Amino acid sequence: MTEFIVPALGHLIEPWNIILMVAGLTGGIIVGALPGLTATMGVALMVPATFAMNPTSGLIMLGAIYVGAIYGGSNSAVLICTPGTPSSVATTFDGWPMCKAGRADFGLYTSLVSSAFGGIIGTVGLLFLAAPLARFALNFGGPENFWLCLFGLSTIAVMSSDNMMKGVLSGAFGILISTVGLDPNAGIPRFTFGYYPLVQGIEVIPAMIGLFSFSQVLYLIGSHKPFIAEFTPTKGAFMQVTRELATKCKVVLMRSSLIGTLVGMLPGAGGEIASIIAYNESKRWDKHPEKYGKGSIEGLASSESANNAVIGGALIPMLTLGIPGSAVAAVILGALMAKGIQPGFKVFTTTGDLAYAFIFSQFAVNLLMLPVGYLLAKVMAKLLSIRLTFVAIAIVMLSVIGSYAIRNNMLDVWIVIIFGVIGYFASRVSLDTGAMALGIILGPMIEENLGKCVDISKSLDGSVFDVFFASNITIILMLMTALSFVTPLIMNKRKKRRNAACACGTPKEDGHA
Amino acid sequence: MKKRFTLRLLLAFLLIISISGAAYAEYPDSPINMIIAFSAGGSSDVQARITQKYWNKYSKQRLVFVYKPGAGGAIGFSEIALAKPDGYTIGGLNVPHIILQPLVQRAPFSIDSFEYICQAVNDPQVVAVRKDSKFKSVKEIFAFAAANPKKLRIGLVGPNSGHHLMFLEVIEKFKFPASPVFYKGSADQNAALLGGEVDVMFGNLNDVMRSRDELNILGIASEKRNAFVPEVKTMRELGFDVVSYIRRAFAAPKGVDKKALAYLTDVFKKIAADPGYLADMKKAGQPEEYLDGSAFSKVVHDQYQHDKAALQKAGLIK
Repeated sequence: MTEFIVPALGHLIEPWNIILMVAGLTGGIIVGALPGLTATMGVALMVPATFAMNPTSGLIMLGAIYVGAIYGGSNSAVLICTPGTPSSVATTFDGWPMCKAGRADFGLYTSLVSSAFGGIIGTVGLLFLAAPLARFALNFGGPENFWLCLFGLSTIAVMSSDNMMKGVLSGAFGILISTVGLDPNAGIPRFTFGYYPLVQGIEVIPAMIGLFSFSQVLYLIGSHKPFIAEFTPTKGAFMQVTRELATKCKVVLMRSSLIGTLVGMLPGAGGEIASIIAYNESKRWDKHPEKYGKGSIEGLASSESANNAVIGGALIPMLTLGIPGSAVAAVILGALMAKGIQPGFKVFTTTGDLAYAFIFSQFAVNLLMLPVGYLLAKVMAKLLSIRLTFVAIAIVMLSVIGSYAIRNNMLDVWIVIIFGVIGYFASRVSLDTGAMALGIILGPMIEENLGKCVDISKSLDGSVFDVFFASNITIILMLMTALSFVTPLIMNKRKKRRNAACACGTPKEDGHA
Repeated sequence: MKKRFTLRLLLAFLLIISISGAAYAEYPDSPINMIIAFSAGGSSDVQARITQKYWNKYSKQRLVFVYKPGAGGAIGFSEIALAKPDGYTIGGLNVPHIILQPLVQRAPFSIDSFEYICQAVNDPQVVAVRKDSKFKSVKEIFAFAAANPKKLRIGLVGPNSGHHLMFLEVIEKFKFPASPVFYKGSADQNAALLGGEVDVMFGNLNDVMRSRDELNILGIASEKRNAFVPEVKTMRELGFDVVSYIRRAFAAPKGVDKKALAYLTDVFKKIAADPGYLADMKKAGQPEEYLDGSAFSKVVHDQYQHDKAALQKAGLIK
């Protein structure tokens, strides 16, 4: 490794590569912030451009777009309650209340610093632990992923602890929606009602744009407010946020980043699950879980650090085994292969120059993201000083264009509109759109992995339960899921006891939500 | 008011001139849409992009890539089949996908909805195991499966895919019961093999090349050995008569203008013979094999009969 450090660092200080990093980050953040344009799309669009570059520069730029886009998703999550990428669903839980309370700049900076921190932890994992971690990730097969997804789904219970029935109902609706399309195990169409394009199922991103952003527009227009939220920038907000993250949120950031790295390297799971699990864990272990969902800095920090830590994790199996840990990593793998670079553990020796330049560039990109993201955040926050009518029109336009762009398909535009209406009425009767999104995202993964468990059980002459209990990881995940369902009960009890013991009210809260 | 009327008249004239001009001009006089039925950056896209690189050398018009992914390619294939047959919309097809999707999923096209331009890739399927697997040959695997009914787990991408058909053919021909485990894509399938969830996988050569260091390829289901892995014996050499491929081709909608088809055929033929193209394909791990449109059409129709019979025998279709 040591012999590659100097040439790798040499690549990083080439002006051309620095320009590519900054350009990739800027482009990535914008793509990520626009609802409908995802990290996968941003990276895929730039792959042909890399064919004209040398492999190192191309790879550095793709990596920068990836990092930028995953962070960028938080901008729209905070400002207009619309996750820009599926990885930032959990960012809306606390980011949006923060924005509503007039603290949008705090939200944006928290996301930025947490994202950079998570990204760096993920890259540390990639640099030092690639070999052992890649082997560990392979232990996650059908049964393990099935329970990991159920564990992710159990977040609904914690999220909606004050009204569990409605949370469960919303989640179930989401899962029901996710069954439209080809049955992953039998390969035959379901619930297409004779309309063939529905065989591809309800795409997650248009459904989310509908549930979050389109419904938000309907709500905002009905609210007769002149602006999305009151906002006056606070002087020194960035330093204040950094200080708070460095003191109060050390543990949260570290734990969430580790969760992100670990989940990222699993071939079947990516940022969408990692951020949810990290959020869930932060809330579970916090002394004051009731402040989550009301604009807490911890909640925002956990989701954003986890989804950026996923990047380093997802690159581990891609580089070492040729197995991408996320959809974006798959695209980058395609670009590598097109350059004739063979993934494998040898990537660190035969093409070590390239591999280490890429890994070091990830550190550089995460650090560069702080100034680049800071400037862009200032610009994006201006959105809040534009009159609501214009913002609403812009959001609708972007939603429609973005959703069409995913598959160049009109069906997705209809999905946005229909789910917008569903989301609007759902929030009216206080059903949880976050839980619905979780159902839509996790439903297909749960079904697919359950199918594998059933396939495997046939070779054991047993039932799926024999498959579940055959693996220690599965047993641990089952226990964690059970624990997760009981937590809200314990939390409620604790709250009651505290309220009884101390009449001076609940602890200090950030929220004005 | 009058001014605006004149302007409209002028625009109308221009429009008429441009339309009639198009009708008389030599094909192609505008860019040609290339529909890709899979996501950007995927294996199909990489292959088509390499083709595009050399297309510009032999044609004065550009190719515009349009991505229509979804339902294992069926959405994009329908789009090609239903496009206007003016020669300005063509696309990439995969076999056996276009055979199986109408049979099993009621897709709105059939193998007769296309005018085939050429075959570009012929990706044979291989039998692969982990490097440290106890199986050292195909014979050992099949013997184990015969002695231990249902115990052998075979990883496949599917269901109702080329891999699935090869599996059906193998268990039918060699009379052993094994348990198939289906994966959504080749990445999951490779991971499952390396993680030990399945013992063996039937996968495409192009896909296993990615994890070449971790796998042993024990046999290749092609008619002759492949230049990428010359040391691997064909299944026939090993005494098992199994031949199974995934092919990639380019096609236009049925009834496309004869002149346009002749032009396209000519350009694609030139590309396929370009040494630069062949070198790039090799670098990207794409097993290149050119067939002209009529030869490929025959292959598709033969395979249709074969696959339909196999699915019927397995009870997957009526």
